[in-house]
Amino acid sequence: MSDPVASQTDAAGDAAPAADNVEYRVAHLRERLAAEELGELGVRTEVRAGAILVTGTVPSAQCRDTLLRVVHEELAGLTVHSDLVVAETTRPDHAEEL
Amino acid sequence: MIRVAAVGDIHMGPDSPGLLRPAFDTLPDCADLLLLAGDLTRHGTPEEARVVADEVRGLAVPVVAVLGNHDHHDEQPEKVTGILREAGVTVLEGDGTVVDCAGTRVGIAGTKGFGGGFVGRCAGEFGEPLMKEFVRYTRRSADSLRGALEDLGRRGCDVRVALTHFSPVPDTLAGEPLEIYPFLGSYLLAEAIDTAGADLAVHGHAHAGTEHGMTAGGVRVRNVAQPVIRRAFNVYQLQTEQVPAAG
Repeated sequence: MSDPVASQTDAAGDAAPAADNVEYRVAHLRERLAAEELGELGVRTEVRAGAILVTGTVPSAQCRDTLLRVVHEELAGLTVHSDLVVAETTRPDHAEEL
Repeated sequence: MIRVAAVGDIHMGPDSPGLLRPAFDTLPDCADLLLLAGDLTRHGTPEEARVVADEVRGLAVPVVAVLGNHDHHDEQPEKVTGILREAGVTVLEGDGTVVDCAGTRVGIAGTKGFGGGFVGRCAGEFGEPLMKEFVRYTRRSADSLRGALEDLGRRGCDVRVALTHFSPVPDTLAGEPLEIYPFLGSYLLAEAIDTAGADLAVHGHAHAGTEHGMTAGGVRVRNVAQPVIRRAFNVYQLQTEQVPAAG
């Protein structure tokens, strides 16, 4: 188990353990991404080996910058790996025959 | 042969003007019509809808759309619909339209659809009023899709396409977490498509899903969410002449 998850059992009796719980922090990040300017529901966030993996496709480079800023604000102190792709806008080079 | 271009989940916002227009301007070279499978905006605001409207205004092919859940978020779907219609887009919700493509009548039946899940792993119309209404909302949407497809059949369409935002089948959700399938689509939509008949079903919504699927009744399904197809749109060629069965 990674350190951030283990930390939830380190202390008891006040609000700190839940506030430090990495799963809840990721959940709150997802709520914020949906609620704020991005309206983003399509990006995946996973806890993996103590780090947070952020993956998915976003509509524009500006959206990616905004998203990463919010991620780093919400998950300050945690290791974040991101692999975010900007949606491609080229026309297809062939059609599918059905 | 009919060439159907389709894309969903373009999620346009203030930084989006002009992103898709260059590709859309090439549509007359490769397609007879463009279908937009919902989630055209990020929050469903009139400002975002105007960005979408400007992106498709005056295109040389007919544009037919359904809204998605994002287009409902600001709780002004009628306003979003009106802005798109003013730009020449045919916006469907529980109804259909017929597009004449060089003498071939192409019928498109559209609805946003909703969730509930797939056979054996789905929500039931049981218990709390909120839960029952959840399933009834999907059922009403599916019933309207079936009615619209049947009506297009009576109107002598050569080709019929079902256009939704939510998925009718689990096949095209492959890649999404299994736990969220009930929020991504419903078998009720597929049952409606199979009951009424269609030549193609197109949807979006599942960004991490898969492009290809099929209903239990054998109707091809395509997830055209932009993150899935990784293009401005994809094109599907549908044969309009009856091919004799082999053997």
